[in-house]
Amino acid sequence: MAQFALVIDLNTCVGCHACATNCKEWNTQASFGPLSDFDPYGREPEGVWYNRIMTYEMGEFPNTQVFHLPKSCLHCQDAPCVPVCPTGASYKREQDGIVLVNYDDCIGCKLCSWSCPYGCREFDEADKVMKKCTLCIDRIYDESLPPEQRKPACVLTCPARARFFGDIEDPNSEAYRMIKERNGFVLFPDMGTNPANHYLPRTETKIHIDEHLLRADNPLFLEVVRRHHVGL
Amino acid sequence: MHPPLSLIWFFLTAGTSIGLFTFTYFMEFLTLWGKNTALPKHMVVFSSLLSLVLIGLGAVGASFHLGHKLRAWKAIRRFRTSWLSREAVFSGAYGLSLLIFLALRYYDVTGFLYHAVGILTFLLGWLGAFSTAMIYASNKFVLEWNTSLTVLYFLDMYLMLGSSAFLAMTYHYDPRWVGTYVFLTFLFVTLGLFFRLAFNIRQAFLKRPTLNEALNLPHNRPIRVLDTGTTTTNYCTEEFYYRKGKELLPITIPIAYILTFVVPIFLLLYVWISGKNQYAFYAVTFASLLVGSLLERWSFFVEGNHVQNLFYGLYPEEGYKLRKGFMEWKKTKITYR
Repeated sequence: MAQFALVIDLNTCVGCHACATNCKEWNTQASFGPLSDFDPYGREPEGVWYNRIMTYEMGEFPNTQVFHLPKSCLHCQDAPCVPVCPTGASYKREQDGIVLVNYDDCIGCKLCSWSCPYGCREFDEADKVMKKCTLCIDRIYDESLPPEQRKPACVLTCPARARFFGDIEDPNSEAYRMIKERNGFVLFPDMGTNPANHYLPRTETKIHIDEHLLRADNPLFLEVVRRHHVGL
Repeated sequence: MHPPLSLIWFFLTAGTSIGLFTFTYFMEFLTLWGKNTALPKHMVVFSSLLSLVLIGLGAVGASFHLGHKLRAWKAIRRFRTSWLSREAVFSGAYGLSLLIFLALRYYDVTGFLYHAVGILTFLLGWLGAFSTAMIYASNKFVLEWNTSLTVLYFLDMYLMLGSSAFLAMTYHYDPRWVGTYVFLTFLFVTLGLFFRLAFNIRQAFLKRPTLNEALNLPHNRPIRVLDTGTTTTNYCTEEFYYRKGKELLPITIPIAYILTFVVPIFLLLYVWISGKNQYAFYAVTFASLLVGSLLERWSFFVEGNHVQNLFYGLYPEEGYKLRKGFMEWKKTKITYR
C-alpha cells in the first residue's frame, strides 16, 4: 500500500521558513483554505499554520550545534488521531496514506489534537474546525499542473532542497531511497505511531580552519578560541 | 492542559445526575427483595427529575466545548473506536431512559417494566460515566491521566457527588436509612481521598519522556529550544500548556483537597458521632463537595502535561538519561590550529 510522505534533510535545512510561508500561502488560497490569521499586523499575530519550523541547540557552549526542525503532520501509519474522532471527520486514505480532516463533519471537539503526540493539528478559531497538513493533496493530484509541479508547496519552494516528497513504500521513489541510503529517522519512535514523514540525520563533517583564516579582529571569535584553549 | 470549563460543568452535572439516580433507584431496587420500604413517590419523582434536568444541563454545557454544536449528532458515528462517541451515545440514551423511568413512576407504573427501565437507566448512566473517564485515561500522551486510577477516581467522584446529593435530599422522606447513607458518603469520600493522593503521588514517580526522545536523539546530549517558529502563542501552546494555571496549582490543589475531602469528612464524622440528623450539615457537605470537585477537576486538567509540549520546551524536565537504541547524532567537529 502506498504511503506518501515528506523526507526532510536536517543537513541542508537552514531554517529560512520558506516552506512554512509557502505552505501558508498555498493553503490559504487553495482547497483547504483559508488558514485564519488573528491580529496579523498587531503586537501578537496568531494564526493557523500547517508547518512550523523549530530551532534547537544541542551540546554545551562552545561545542554547540544549532539545527532546524520543520514539523508538519507526520501522516502516521498508525495515526492515533483517527480512531478517537467521534464523527469520522479525521481519516486516513487507503490509496496514499494521507491523513485528512473532512471539515463538513468536524464538530471541533479537539480530541484529535489531544491524541497527537507531535502537536501537528491546529484548531481554526474562525472556521471552528481542526486543520492540518494535507500534503498538498490538491496539488499532487492536479493533472492541470505539469508533472514536476505536482508536489507539496513546501517541497517546491525549499531553496536549500532539503525536502523530498514521495511514496516511502515504493523502492523506486526518491523519498524511499533517501531514507534507506541516509538512515532516515522518525520523531518520537516510542509512541507507537509509526510516522510516515522521515528526517535525514546530519552527517559527520570535519572542517579544518587554518590560522590565517581566523579573523583576529573578531572579538567573539577570539573569545571562543580563548575558551577553547583554556578548556572552559 | 487548558481546563475547558464546559467539560468541568459536564462532569459536575452528569456526575450528580448519575450518582443521584443510582442511589434513588437503588432504594427502589431493594424493595424488590423486601430489604427496604419504598421511597415516597414525590421523593423519587423529584430526584429523577433533578437527575434529568442535570444531565440535560450537562449536555447543553458540554456542547459549548464543540466548534459546531449543530453537528453534535454526528458524534454517534464512530461508536466502535471512539470513547467520545460512546460517551455521547450512552449519555444520550441515559437521558432518554431516565425520562421514561420518571414518566413510569409519575403514572404509578411500578411493576416489571418500571424496574427494567430503572436497571437500564442505571447501566446506561454508568456506561456513559465509564466512557467519559476513558477519554482521559486512554490518552497515552498525557501520562498523568493515562492510568486506571483516573477511571476509578472518576467513577468514585460520581458516587461521592451522588451519595452526598441524595443525603441532602433525605428531608423528603423518613430518614430511617439515613445512617447508611451517611456511612456510604463517608466511605466514597474517604476512598476518593485515597485515589486523589495516589494520583498525586504517582505523578512524582512518572517516567517522563525527554526532548531527546521526542527528537530521537541520544540522551546524553543536552538540547534546548531556541525558537518555536512563531513569536507568539499558538493553538498548541495555549491548549496544551496553561501557564497561569500552573502558577495557581499550589493554591488550588490544597483548597480542592480541603473542600472535596476534609470538610465533608469532618461534617459526616460529626453527624455520625453525634447521631444528630441535621439536614443543613448534609447540604453543606454536598455544597462543599461540589465546589471542591470543580476546583479538583480544574486542577486535574492543569496537572496534565501533554508530551507535545516537549517540542516547545514546556514539558517537566527529568534530566538527561543515557539509553540505548536511539539513533546516534553524528557530531560536527571543528578544529582550530
